[in-house]
Amino acid sequence: MLRVKDISLTLGKTGILNKVSLEAGAGELCVIMGANGAGKSSLLKVIAGEYAHYRGSVNIAGNELRNMPVAEQARTRAVLSQQLSLNQPFPVIDVVSMGRFVYGSYLSVPDKEIITCALKTMQVYNLKDRAYPTLSGGQKQRVQMARVLAQLLEEPDLYAANYAGKKMLLLDEPVTGMDILHQQLALQLATTLAAQGVLVIAVLHDFQLAAAYARRLFLLKDGSLYATGSVEEVFTPQHIKHCFGVDVAVLQHPHCNYPLVVSAAAAGLFQSPAVMAINEL
Amino acid sequence: MIKSLSISFLTILLVLVILIATGTGAMHMSPLQVLAILLERTGIHLPVVYEENMSGVLWMIRLPRVILGVLIGAGLGVAGAALQGLFRNPLADPGLIGISSGASMAAVVMIIIQNALPVFHSVPALNFYALNLAAFGGAVITTLFIFRVARTGGQAAVSTMLLAGIAVRALCESVTGLMTYMANNEQLRSITFWSLGSLGGASWQTVLGVLPFIVIPLILLPRLASALNLLSLGEREAMHSGVKVQRLKTQLIVLATMAVAAGVAVAGIIGFIGLIVPHIVRQFTGPDYRVLVPGAALAGAVLLSVADLLCRTIVAPAELPVGIITAIIGAPFFIWLIIKEKRTIIA
Repeated sequence: MLRVKDISLTLGKTGILNKVSLEAGAGELCVIMGANGAGKSSLLKVIAGEYAHYRGSVNIAGNELRNMPVAEQARTRAVLSQQLSLNQPFPVIDVVSMGRFVYGSYLSVPDKEIITCALKTMQVYNLKDRAYPTLSGGQKQRVQMARVLAQLLEEPDLYAANYAGKKMLLLDEPVTGMDILHQQLALQLATTLAAQGVLVIAVLHDFQLAAAYARRLFLLKDGSLYATGSVEEVFTPQHIKHCFGVDVAVLQHPHCNYPLVVSAAAAGLFQSPAVMAINEL
Repeated sequence: MIKSLSISFLTILLVLVILIATGTGAMHMSPLQVLAILLERTGIHLPVVYEENMSGVLWMIRLPRVILGVLIGAGLGVAGAALQGLFRNPLADPGLIGISSGASMAAVVMIIIQNALPVFHSVPALNFYALNLAAFGGAVITTLFIFRVARTGGQAAVSTMLLAGIAVRALCESVTGLMTYMANNEQLRSITFWSLGSLGGASWQTVLGVLPFIVIPLILLPRLASALNLLSLGEREAMHSGVKVQRLKTQLIVLATMAVAAGVAVAGIIGFIGLIVPHIVRQFTGPDYRVLVPGAALAGAVLLSVADLLCRTIVAPAELPVGIITAIIGAPFFIWLIIKEKRTIIA
């Protein structure tokens, strides 16, 4: 679905990305991680078609990104960015309807059903007539996610269509500002979409969320791909020390089927029962 | 529902204003008489009595002026809505940010050039279109300049935009001043006319002259309304959603300045319509450009027609330049807008 080959990007005179290559297939949920300034968002923006002056090749569903018209890009992939600055008092339903723009400016009946489905999925249906600027930060984020979902879906039912090889969803820190319930809902939605064949690529900061949901990880360091693979392969204390400069412990918990990444300082606070028993002697 | 209602209401209001404005003046005609005279030409006879010379006054004097006001008002309203969408900023007004000054400077320079070049004396029609084109060129260059200067990170910062506007206006006014200094008596009178703004020069010829330059934006800008809605999410998000942002911006600049420049070319600088009108319409319809753009065209036409009606009746038989009236209404509105929204828009 996505083949990125040797892309480099400079903004002004600063090199942002340096020969990054990666591949991801239909139905995968991939997470890009890295320290601040490692190039995560820039990588996502290149894939989203925002920069015209990158070097290298980005191939989406068999098409070279450079040769894809804007409308074709929009029909193939949807993007949720950080820092959205909508300050006009559009009602929520109008904001979500904007997701259907590329399918024609007139909203047909199926379009409206898809919009309703997106509103309900993101649990903002009850807010549909509220003015967007009056919402809280987390609610705004969910409305934007509903808009992006409306752009992606082909049927007014999450499970009705097979999107393998057809659709890609790019999420730049999608859960920032959401409460824990809606964080889980958002990432479960991403998992559901991935199960329907959508390639999902998300930039995340939270190790726990990444470990729980990612099928494939891309770890960036200083504009280059540092490590890639499954959660177990990428989340090692050495990798994290190199990329983030923090000592961590990677723990396994019997009730948890993914590794827990805990900073070493925090891990020291919770001594193991064996150590506590020794101290009591 | 509210949306289609607003458009119907504004349309009815505009028709009423046209009938009343056409009937008002030294020779008074009732709206019914106006209607009867207008329909007479289409072969429909209304049982309304009117004097024979009323028909002449209406067709030769009143109607061209009212129609010119409607066209220019609609052009300014629609351009204001488009520019506010382009700059993603509710203070973008063709007058405030110097587009009108740029157009008027270019027009004034053209007036001086026309006197110097013999070509223009032999073909009078050329005069008019050359003036229109010059005003258009001046307006486009100013808009591009302001847009370039004011834009940081995909959004036009209000302070930079207004400061750039002040600078551009100062520059344009100094050039206009220089031309005034060099001008002879007859040129001086036409130049003064640009800076005050007036519909006094209306004739069927001027109406036909501006017609294409305003009708084209009036037809094409509403088609960009959906894309304008997406632009309010941000340029990046609009692009992600399938809007060809660069092409949209070019279309907006060309169409909006075309409408403004055509108005400036025949009526001089008429300020604040492009600022006030989208705001008033937005209060009733919300921010949806699909209603805002046609609504602003209708409301702009209503507002300029009423303003022109005022300026030719309150000191009759003399008349005030209409630019004075729109500034008297518009400037306090602008101040109110700043006070009301200083937290949200002057960021």
